[in-house]
Amino acid sequence: MIEFQGVYKTYQTGSHALEDVNLHIDDGEFAFIVGASGAGKSTFLKLIMREETPTAGEVIVNNYRLSRLKRNQVPYFRRTMGIVFQDFRLINTMTVFENVAFSMRVIGKKKKEIDRTVKHVLRVLDLHEKANRYPLELSGGEQQRVGLARALVNKPALIIADEPTGNVDPQMSHDIVEMLTQINEKGTTVLMVTHEHELVHQFDHRVITLEKGHIVSDTGAPMRPATVSLGSLAAEAGGDTL
Amino acid sequence: MKPHVIRYLIKEGCRNTWQNRLMAFASVGVLICCLLLTGFSYLLFVNVDHMFQNAYEQNVMAVYLDSDQDEEAVRRIGDTLQGMSNVASLSFLSKEEFLAQYGEALADNTMESFQGENNPLPDTYIVSLRDLALFQQTLDAISAIDGVEEVSYDANTAATLTKVRQVVLVVGGSIIVVLLAVSLFIIVNTIKLTVYNRRLEIYIMKSVGATDSFIRFPFVVEGMLLGLIAGGVGFGLISLLYKVLYSHFSFDNPLLSLVPFSQEWLPLLVGFLAGGTLVGVCGSIISMSKYLKQEGGLRS
Ligand SMILES: Nc1ncnc2c1ncn2[C@@H]1O[C@H](COP(=O)(O)OP(=O)(O)OP(=O)(O)O)[C@@H](O)[C@H]1O
Ligand SMILES: [Mg+2]
Repeated sequence: MIEFQGVYKTYQTGSHALEDVNLHIDDGEFAFIVGASGAGKSTFLKLIMREETPTAGEVIVNNYRLSRLKRNQVPYFRRTMGIVFQDFRLINTMTVFENVAFSMRVIGKKKKEIDRTVKHVLRVLDLHEKANRYPLELSGGEQQRVGLARALVNKPALIIADEPTGNVDPQMSHDIVEMLTQINEKGTTVLMVTHEHELVHQFDHRVITLEKGHIVSDTGAPMRPATVSLGSLAAEAGGDTL
Repeated sequence: MKPHVIRYLIKEGCRNTWQNRLMAFASVGVLICCLLLTGFSYLLFVNVDHMFQNAYEQNVMAVYLDSDQDEEAVRRIGDTLQGMSNVASLSFLSKEEFLAQYGEALADNTMESFQGENNPLPDTYIVSLRDLALFQQTLDAISAIDGVEEVSYDANTAATLTKVRQVVLVVGGSIIVVLLAVSLFIIVNTIKLTVYNRRLEIYIMKSVGATDSFIRFPFVVEGMLLGLIAGGVGFGLISLLYKVLYSHFSFDNPLLSLVPFSQEWLPLLVGFLAGGTLVGVCGSIISMSKYLKQEGGLRS
């Protein structure tokens, strides 16, 4: 669950990135954040991952009230979400396998479990043949799938992605959103920032439009039959199926 | 942290060191130079101190006794002197021996007239001191002994030696401290270059929820590794260099000869390894902490 209560963000440079943003996103939703360059989309996500703190107002994410979060609690808070970046942000000196495994090492998982889970995730994302390659030996689309695998491997309740399709071709963009949609159908909340209106129209998800730091439109969660069974699917998400 | 996590992080530290081996090489080089400078200051200090120590031992007092004492009283005074804590060694010079030593300078007939009962010289104890800093106290105590007529000494030499030794101690100590600080500074800046390239990694680690200590650990391992390597190599170099110096500067005069390396290798080895590790680990931690604190990671 994500909630913004009267959130303002003014950077030290004086630019008002967000102004009076109020918003509620339920568990299990899929929301696109769209808007022109400079509208405040990235700032919005940075407030959620607690990379920035609001100038005023309150942000609540996965039951953490971020204004009360101490610095040493931030890592534990971050483990409740998976983050995907436009520029992939893989560690170039680690293999694909190690990049994905890293998320699990951080939370102290044992080698056996890491091996099993990472192999599984790589297979799901069709990367298992590249497990021992290094990121720079992969195409953009492949690198982004590694980024996605890293975000998914700990089965977080929330995935946030800042223009994950910004550096891949249209077909791969579609595939990535398709994958995120499948993950979402198993109960994971997905927030995705994008520029590409066409892509947004190909899917039936909630669309939040930002303009100069304000929310100017919000379609709300689409009504669809699938929502009824979300609960049972969410339970499944805890299993081995991803 | 669980053992398997620690094992992983140690491995990561070694992998990172290898990954950044060029910079590691530079850091080790810088660290070795600093350790050598510090080591040589230390050895210089040890040698200077050693020479003073020798000079001390040659700095003696002559204790002249009253002339009208029997052998028993003279021996008792000797025992008292021997019992004093600051007296390092003691030797007795009877008035006959005294005369024999200095009489050669006199004319024969004068010498003649001084024999036996007419000997004007006193029985004398030659005392050398353990610690010259306590010179005055010891002098007072000896003068106060019954039967001691006069104490002859060279107060100036004693005071000067003590002062110079203190100055050497302070200057030597300061040089070592300053050198260590300078090494730390250089090391921090060398490692900073490597860490700058790794700030993206640090940011990524933070974004997947790594704690500060998890991120720091491999850097500590890396610093330790560099420190130990630099300490070991530095020690090898300094022992070689010192042995060469030693073989060229060994004189018979104990005042001028160098302290043999066998007396100093252990403190040097321990110092080099400990100093190298300390500087390496501190340097590593200091240079990465800026990026650890920084959110967003990429705003350099
Ligand atoms: N770290 C920062 N310091 C100062 N100003 C910033 C910072 N980050 C963003 N801004 C400003 O805040 C505003 C919103 O930026 P933001 O990055 O959220 O936009 P965006 O919607 O993600 O744009 P884009 O589509 O180009 O990525 C912009 O005016 C930007 O210049
Ligand atoms: Mg942006």
